[in-house]
This record gives sequence, C-alpha cells and structure tokens, in this order.
Amino acid sequence: MVDALEEARRILVDPGVLVDARPDSRVAARVRSGSERGRVIGTIGTQRDTKTDDQLSDRAVREVLRRGLFRSRRRGRMWHAIPFEDRSELHDYLDEHLRFSRRVGWRVPEAKRGGRLVVERAIRFEILERR
Amino acid sequence: MSATASAGRILPGGLGYLRPPAEIELAAYGIDLRGLRVADIGAGEGRLALGAARQADSVLAIDPDRSALSRGRAEAKRLGLRNVSFREGAAQSLELRDASFDVVLMSWTL
Repeated sequence: MVDALEEARRILVDPGVLVDARPDSRVAARVRSGSERGRVIGTIGTQRDTKTDDQLSDRAVREVLRRGLFRSRRRGRMWHAIPFEDRSELHDYLDEHLRFSRRVGWRVPEAKRGGRLVVERAIRFEILERR
Repeated sequence: MSATASAGRILPGGLGYLRPPAEIELAAYGIDLRGLRVADIGAGEGRLALGAARQADSVLAIDPDRSALSRGRAEAKRLGLRNVSFREGAAQSLELRDASFDVVLMSWTL
C-alpha cells in the first residue's frame, strides 16, 4: 500500500493532489426504516478481514504523512445511502457483500423491521498534497 | 475526522448504484478539476474517471481488470467523452512518467 502511495506521488506534479477515499469501517453502517430520514433501527458492522485491510491502508497513509511525502489538506466523511425494498432484499445483498457483516444488529423487535429500508454507509476521504 | 462542508452529507445510492454517483463524490472532494490532468488509479469501469472527464483536461483510468476497462471504454464512447483513456496497470508499478498528473484519484483502491 505504501508503494502505491509512493507511485502516486511520483506521477504527481509538485504540488499535485492525491485523493484517498474508502468505506469507513470504523463506523457501523446504519439501517434506517423507510427513507434516509427514517429512524435508525439497526447497524451493520464490517467483516473482520476487511477491517484489518482497512487498518493497513490507514497505516500506509500515516506512514507517507510521517515521512513527509504528502501533507493532509483536508479530511471528511460522507454517507452513501442504498435503498432496499424490504428485509429480504437487504439480506440477499449482505449474503454477497465482501465488506459488510452478514448480520444486522437490530435495535427493534422483528415486527418493526418490515417495509423499505435504507442502509447508509460511511465513506471517508482525505485530500493529500504532494510535498 | 475534521469537520468539513461535506461531512455527514447523504449521497444517493441504489441497488444498481452501489457506489455514489461520480459527480457527487467529486464535488465532496472540493477540487476544481478544470484544465487538470487526472489519473484514476484502480478505476475499475471508470465510474469516477468518466465523471472527472466532464471537467478535467484529460483523464487516464488505470486498472488491472481488462474487462472492466473495456466496459469503461465502451461507456466513454457512448457518452462521447474523448478526453478519457483506459490503460491496464497496477497501482504499485505505474508505467507513467514522473510528474505527469495534477490529480491522482484512489477511490476504493488502497
């Protein structure tokens, strides 16, 4: 991962900009009832292996910052909303997902998990300036 | 995380759209790409590269997946985008000249 960041730096002009954006596995995805403004009725974590990979990526970014190859210009987080017709569709999605855990941590009883659902997942980004 | 204008913003998604629309993702980064040379590393089918090509001077999309690149090329042609090109390659060893890009995008790449 550090080698990829070094390559990015090599092809950038001085002071060019590198954007690193990834799903943020430090934050659980939120399951909302009905719409993006609906009540949060559950959360979805990240698979353990993926979390480890994400930590390695974080470490790589920290290393290039520490070595002075880049400086951090700005960081932020966005939420990406993915709608589902119902719980069954959500579970089908999770069964095939490479990042999310297979199970939802529900906060409400089963009777209140019906209808349309929206999963919001966090995306973090950092704007790095070549030094 | 530092607070930014885009922090907490909800990006639209959908089952056929499991990644944010490129123009919205790019806007969140707050970089004016007009007139710039952009490399999208790990571009896949070029979702972000094609979005960037609407603003940038030129965009090079790089990915090891030849079939994804092929789909990206077809989409670029369909959209009439002539300033985006697709090349097979790995992030760790880019066969590109030093200092040849103003912006490098690594979205879902590291």
